[in-house]
Amino acid sequence: MTEKLEEIRKRAEIAIREAKTLQDLDDVEICYLGRKGELTGMLRQLSSLPDEEKKSLGSKANDIKGELERMLLAVRRQLLENRLTEIGRTERVDVTEPGRRPPEGHLHLVTQAIREVTEIFSRIGFVRTRYPEVDWDWYAFESLNMPKDHPARDEWETFFMDAPESKKGKMVLTPHTSNAQVRELERGQFPVRMINIAKCYRRQIDVTHVPMFHQFEGLYVDTHVSITHLRGVLDYFAKEFFGPDRAIRLRPFHFRFTEPSFEIDVSCAVCKGTGEGPDRQKCRVCKRGWLELGGAGMVHPNVLKAGNVDPKKYSGFAFGWGVERTALMKSGTKLDDIRVLYKNDLRFLKQF
Amino acid sequence: MNRLVSYDWLKHYADLEDVSPEEFAKRISLSGPAVEKIFPADALLHKVVVGHVLEVKRHPNADKLKLAIVNVGTQHTAPVQIVCGGSNLRKDQWVAVALVGAYVKWHGEGEPVKLEPVELRGEKSEGMICAANEIGLADAFPHEEREILDLEEALRIGVLADSEDEHSKKRVFEHVMKPGTLLADLLGLSGDVIMDVEVTSNRVDAMGMVGFGREAAAILERDFLWEEPVLDSPRSKSRDSQLSVTVHDKDLCPRYMAARINGVKNGSSPWWMKKRLMAAGMNSINLLVDITNYVLLEYAQPLHVFDVARLRKKSESGKQEAEEVEIHVRLAQPQETVKALDGKDYALDDKTLVIADAEGPVAVAGIMGGERSGTYEDTTDIVFEAATFDSVSVRRTARRLNLYSDSQLRFEKGLSTEAPPIALARAIELTLELAGGELAGPVTDVCTHVYKPLSFSIASKEVSARIGVEIPEKKQVEILTSLGFGVKASKGVIAAQVPWWRDHDIEEAQDLVEEIARVYGYANIPAELPVGDAAPRGTDAELVWEDHIRTIAKGAGLTEVYSYSFVSDELYGKAGYDSSACLHVQNPLSEEFAFMRTSLLPSLLQVVAENQERYREQSLFEVAKVYYRRGEAWTDLPDESLELGCAFLAGEGSFAKAKGFVEHLLYEFGIDNVIWERFAQVGFWHPGRTAQAFKDGKLLATVGEVSPHILANVKIEGRAAMIDCPLKEIFALSKGIKSFTAPSPYPESKRDLAVIVDTHVEYDDIARAIREADALVAAVEWFDTYAGKGIADGKKSVAMHLDFSSPDRTLTAEEVDGLLQRILLGLKEKFGAEMR
Repeated sequence: MTEKLEEIRKRAEIAIREAKTLQDLDDVEICYLGRKGELTGMLRQLSSLPDEEKKSLGSKANDIKGELERMLLAVRRQLLENRLTEIGRTERVDVTEPGRRPPEGHLHLVTQAIREVTEIFSRIGFVRTRYPEVDWDWYAFESLNMPKDHPARDEWETFFMDAPESKKGKMVLTPHTSNAQVRELERGQFPVRMINIAKCYRRQIDVTHVPMFHQFEGLYVDTHVSITHLRGVLDYFAKEFFGPDRAIRLRPFHFRFTEPSFEIDVSCAVCKGTGEGPDRQKCRVCKRGWLELGGAGMVHPNVLKAGNVDPKKYSGFAFGWGVERTALMKSGTKLDDIRVLYKNDLRFLKQF
Repeated sequence: MNRLVSYDWLKHYADLEDVSPEEFAKRISLSGPAVEKIFPADALLHKVVVGHVLEVKRHPNADKLKLAIVNVGTQHTAPVQIVCGGSNLRKDQWVAVALVGAYVKWHGEGEPVKLEPVELRGEKSEGMICAANEIGLADAFPHEEREILDLEEALRIGVLADSEDEHSKKRVFEHVMKPGTLLADLLGLSGDVIMDVEVTSNRVDAMGMVGFGREAAAILERDFLWEEPVLDSPRSKSRDSQLSVTVHDKDLCPRYMAARINGVKNGSSPWWMKKRLMAAGMNSINLLVDITNYVLLEYAQPLHVFDVARLRKKSESGKQEAEEVEIHVRLAQPQETVKALDGKDYALDDKTLVIADAEGPVAVAGIMGGERSGTYEDTTDIVFEAATFDSVSVRRTARRLNLYSDSQLRFEKGLSTEAPPIALARAIELTLELAGGELAGPVTDVCTHVYKPLSFSIASKEVSARIGVEIPEKKQVEILTSLGFGVKASKGVIAAQVPWWRDHDIEEAQDLVEEIARVYGYANIPAELPVGDAAPRGTDAELVWEDHIRTIAKGAGLTEVYSYSFVSDELYGKAGYDSSACLHVQNPLSEEFAFMRTSLLPSLLQVVAENQERYREQSLFEVAKVYYRRGEAWTDLPDESLELGCAFLAGEGSFAKAKGFVEHLLYEFGIDNVIWERFAQVGFWHPGRTAQAFKDGKLLATVGEVSPHILANVKIEGRAAMIDCPLKEIFALSKGIKSFTAPSPYPESKRDLAVIVDTHVEYDDIARAIREADALVAAVEWFDTYAGKGIADGKKSVAMHLDFSSPDRTLTAEEVDGLLQRILLGLKEKFGAEMR
């Protein structure tokens, strides 16, 4: 019996080793360890032997069974491994073919800029508002300390609507977002921390002007507001929007609705504010190291008064900049013709 | 407004001796007018030297050209040969030679071109003997065509120093007129720089050298060097022997001064004056005109000069009075015209203020003089005008006539009535010195109001508070004083009297803060983020939703467009829209921008049409305001409501794409149980392929194909579908927080169902009938509609996935099959449906 067992073991071991596929291995397993397998049959025969023999042979047969099972497991693992390797080795697609993309949408440059601006100012507590784009002269001009004969109020600068005059004057297309200033002040809630973004309209169309564009208008009114705060807020914006290595500077300027008034410049990204290009040539991008961002200033007392705010108690600052201009400055793109922004050529729009 | 400033010239007004132009530009830009560019005054004279013509020879191959052998100094060991066509070229002449490498303007035109050694008709030419216009000096040295610049002639206008006597002139000539000397050195241009300065509209005073010098002195804390000229002649109210002035419209001309000088000699201006005019970008015309321009550059107060001989006098009143000049400042009469100094005729109207003589207009007040009364070589007796004109009238007249000038640019900013006497004094001073002659009598001064300088007071503490930096009162007073304010300080309050040149600019106490802050230096004001309370207002929900829509649309593969809020009648008409209820622009730029749109769809159609050749597949959207009338007339501001418009150019699938997007959008906004209804109205939409979405009876969106007629009008080929979505309702119904339930723990049973119905039976009705058949129906999902082979004519097969589930048990197969039978029976009853 012992010899028989050994002989089965030898044959089984060879069969296992020689198995080429998982199917071969399954066959071997059935042949020896299956219900009708040789080793199973031997084990069954053992029950008829005397106790002593049964014990020693039984333990031997079980050892052989265990060993064969371990061997089967190992070889099965190996064969499985080989099969998976084989799949990886033989299967192949042209990976340079394009993939299947989800539909690709595009948001307009102006939308993207508005989002970013809104986001930056919201981080320092400025809430975006919305006010009319068609408004009364009172909000667009008169309340902003602009005298009746101010050039901006001439018919070749501003669009007037074909509508009867009201108590608040003529109906106009807002030439700036500043009409929001007095409208916001009229709410009578302080502090005012407003960022108003809207379409604006001016009577000009050429390669550098479009009759409709967008502005963002900031207004901050509280007790004890000073120029340092204006500087702080605009500095924060410039660094967030253009990058931490950019600086701003204030230059004197003139607007009717602010006093003092400033022109805000941001340092040039190309020449790093030096004004010099390669080989000590003049920088081609900026004016002497700086780029004009837009206007700002301390809210004129007359504007506060127009909004029923006591200029002795409250002070504030305001700024109003072009969205398109600011966005183009950030990307560093120079458009030969600004009108392309509203021409809706898909070759342009699909780049965003 | 910009002006060009010679830095050397500026040094006459402010002590800037050891301040470099770069340093100056940096400091002044941060506290006053901005220096935008700096360039050397001799930019066009690089490598242009004095040459001495040693010999002139015939050109063997050209009649009009000659060969000049020119000594150009020690840099060249031997004299050079230059081919020259100058008509006045002669031996022993002193000329301007542009050496190889210099930049010249060919024939005085176009951009400067770099000179290379060339052969002209077979003869070598190493440089160019220049005409004045080829090196940017045409105004200073006027010449005939083909005439080269003769440097000896330059002497006659005093190029070489100010030496008066012949002996020293000769000495200087011999000293400087050496071959090889840089022409820029000879002309005194070397080392000077020209600055392009931007002056803000309120600071017209700084457009003058005097004002700019004063700014510079204050900002750089240097001495202001200029002394104002004084008008020492007596003044008369109006009449004297030789000049009478009548101001007919005193509102438009609050002050008119005139001075008559007889016996002047007009001619060419001295070099120093030409040089400065040239630096400022002004042409030299003749001495008298140049004087008016020079004073304009100094004081920003325009002057005008009339030739007495060319002014018409009263003729009927005899000889005695024929000598008297008669000047009227009045509104033009209809039909009157004037030929201005630009040579063009201008038709005047009764809103145009003119200066007239006994016959008619001789100048458009404050804008431009007339050709008839101008000064010329033969002029001997003149009248200078120094006046103040109403700024608005000047601006509007200039726009109406489309006539602009340096004078108008200054007047329209608003000038002080105190400027004319000073400017006039300066003009008289210069004339007597340079052109001779003598004042014919007292200066005429018609002044309608008494000048009283404004004064403002502000607490020095408040100044510091507004700026956010503590600036000592002493410093504040110093700054205002340096700018010319008359300042008194007591008990912490500063009282400042506004100098005349800041009239129309300093209007209240707050303006003093700016003066102090800017001269103190904006760069010295630190940045500080404001602390304090948050704004007591929430974020506008509409703005959040609007942004959300854009995100959804982009995610769904749509491209965003931005079109003008204006539309044209033509486009609206083509799109079948009615413009009569639109808000019209009174002064549109053109018909294209005639009125404010009430729908985004016409503009979108235009975009589709314009892009269709390149893009046969398009998915576009725009979110923008449209402008509706409230009530019957435009007495109120328009209702500016936000809309979403979409366009799909996608062939047969256009409608499905459009509708699918609306479904997606409504889903994203959490709006469910939407009812879709067919919209068969004939008009903009395709009557058979348009639907409207409703919720609680409110219209959410119209989606459909565009009517073939409209597509034909706008020339769009193929099918296009659009979405018109007034967002007000969607925003109102949208749920910020979606409602949800836990999924049922019991498995759901799925069945597919295909039924055959008449083609006019609509899917939504079938689906609703199934959903309403039993609470166990969890979902109905369409997956196919088929008509054709195997299906009878007029019928279609609609196939759907059905889900059944219960929240509290597992459904048995028998139960579900039973349900399905009941549903089928119901469909048969309602729609005559058969199971496929």
